[in-house]
Amino acid sequence: MTTEAPSRDTSGTLPFLTAARGVFDLSFEAMLWSRRSLFLALLLCLPIALGVLFHAAQAVELQTRITGRDLYQLLVVLFYVRNALPLVALFYATSLIADEVEGRTLTFLLTRPVSRASVLTGKYAAFLATALTLTLPAVVVGGVLLIAPEGAGALGGSLPALLRDMAAMGLTLAAYGAAFTLLGVLLRRPVIPGLVFLFVWEFLANLPGYLPRFTLSVYARGLLPYRSIPGLGELFLLDLEPWTCAATLAAVSAAGLLLAIGIFSSREYSMSQ
Amino acid sequence: MTAPLRYERVSRWYGPVIALNDVTTSIQPGVTGLLGPNGAGKSTFLKLAAGQLAPSQGTVQVFGTRAWGSPQLFHRVGLCPETDAFWEHLTGEQFLDVLLRLTGYEEGERRIRTGQALETVGLTAAASRKLGGYSKGMRQRIRIAQALAHDPQLLLLDEPLTGMDPLNRRRVIDLVKRFGREGRTVLVSSHILHEVEAMTRRVLLIHNGRILAEGEVREIRDLLDEHPHTVSLRARNVRRLGQALVGADHLLSARFSSDGEWLTVQTARPDDLYGALPELAIECGVSEMFSPDEDLASVFQYLVGRK
Repeated sequence: MTTEAPSRDTSGTLPFLTAARGVFDLSFEAMLWSRRSLFLALLLCLPIALGVLFHAAQAVELQTRITGRDLYQLLVVLFYVRNALPLVALFYATSLIADEVEGRTLTFLLTRPVSRASVLTGKYAAFLATALTLTLPAVVVGGVLLIAPEGAGALGGSLPALLRDMAAMGLTLAAYGAAFTLLGVLLRRPVIPGLVFLFVWEFLANLPGYLPRFTLSVYARGLLPYRSIPGLGELFLLDLEPWTCAATLAAVSAAGLLLAIGIFSSREYSMSQ
Repeated sequence: MTAPLRYERVSRWYGPVIALNDVTTSIQPGVTGLLGPNGAGKSTFLKLAAGQLAPSQGTVQVFGTRAWGSPQLFHRVGLCPETDAFWEHLTGEQFLDVLLRLTGYEEGERRIRTGQALETVGLTAAASRKLGGYSKGMRQRIRIAQALAHDPQLLLLDEPLTGMDPLNRRRVIDLVKRFGREGRTVLVSSHILHEVEAMTRRVLLIHNGRILAEGEVREIRDLLDEHPHTVSLRARNVRRLGQALVGADHLLSARFSSDGEWLTVQTARPDDLYGALPELAIECGVSEMFSPDEDLASVFQYLVGRK
């Protein structure tokens, strides 16, 4: 072994961002090429299949009751924001630490001069990057397939909306991801409680009154202007400002992650043979 | 001089089970063997030093700093854990590089240290192979490599020789001794007296969460010699290994496993067996060996009864 490099500061932990970046690089590749990602990529690409079907229906001149644009908006709101992205967040974020514990590899991360906050932040960032890598191309391809029949001009005009939709999806993933990261460090088996949260608690967003304000779903959907879809009637009862929704989701993301860091930092993780 | 590792009235319990009971001791520079049967509290003892567990009572200090909640200590501490688990998709080289990066080394320095650590444990040729394809012995060696790649002053090794072939055992034993001679502090746990004895004379005997004795290994060694010692060996040519050993006058019994891969022998003089092993390893392709715990457990029972 060589002697200590003189420039290395060994008095404290590594700088937060340096350590988080190291953990991110380690985790991102593993997450992206995991079996979980394969399954979730198939789920997230479902709108592409619908886009192809829609094209096929138009090619054989079948009468469709909604336009391609309507279908795109429906998919963004009901498929991605309401269901698929929260599910993606659930399956990745609850396992950020659980996978390392189950694989008994957490020891290697916790016996380095890095803060636990940087470990969890790096892993959370890897989840976000993985989820966005899987989601955004599917959204773009699906959007192009569904809007393209309106002509090149309509497609170009839809670009700002597409970018806004992608930003909304990013924020949705961040908020649900932070909530599920918290659940993941809090509970030994977080998936079932997570599913209950998604499909029972979040269902409150569809109810009238004040209760929907306690769900994430109402803020995630409030980021998008797709309030009314012809033929399906009014989908949302609460009319919140997009910026209020964005601020709320950002606050939930920060608070969830900070709480998760607090819990992760104080817990013992002892891997046994 | 303050000891690099100090336990002050340390107890640790898991629910109603006491793993470590009111332990006060200091580990000085050099090699110290932590010896005890399975379940004695060795791993808990090491995990407390590595800051993986917090003491239920008392304090554990590493270089004068509380071990729990002080990750900065890992600039100077290396841990070789007992668990056989890795990020299997990484190669040996990538694995060390990732961990050195998380210890704060720049790319150039990481490359040098990775190469040195791989060479030290004899894995240079396997550097670009995925860890998932490593044999048990190779996995053990890469675990040791990650513990020493950053040149720690305190090295904690939890059963480091498990699953290794005799030649690599020799290599790791020499490495541990060299670290001790260099003035570093090495704490190495084992349930096999002969392993510990090959590395150091200084031992800490632990049983049922208590330190039974500290000091020279000689007394316990004499006791062990009164007991038959069992060793299981896995070899490419296990029949030939059996033939080579069966004539030895120290051999009490020999038994082949049903799959024909292992030979389990009982010997009255372990030193003679271990002395012959490096040669037999080459001749018969011994790839793995372990000694079951019962021998040491019986010695500990004897010791506890005598106290």
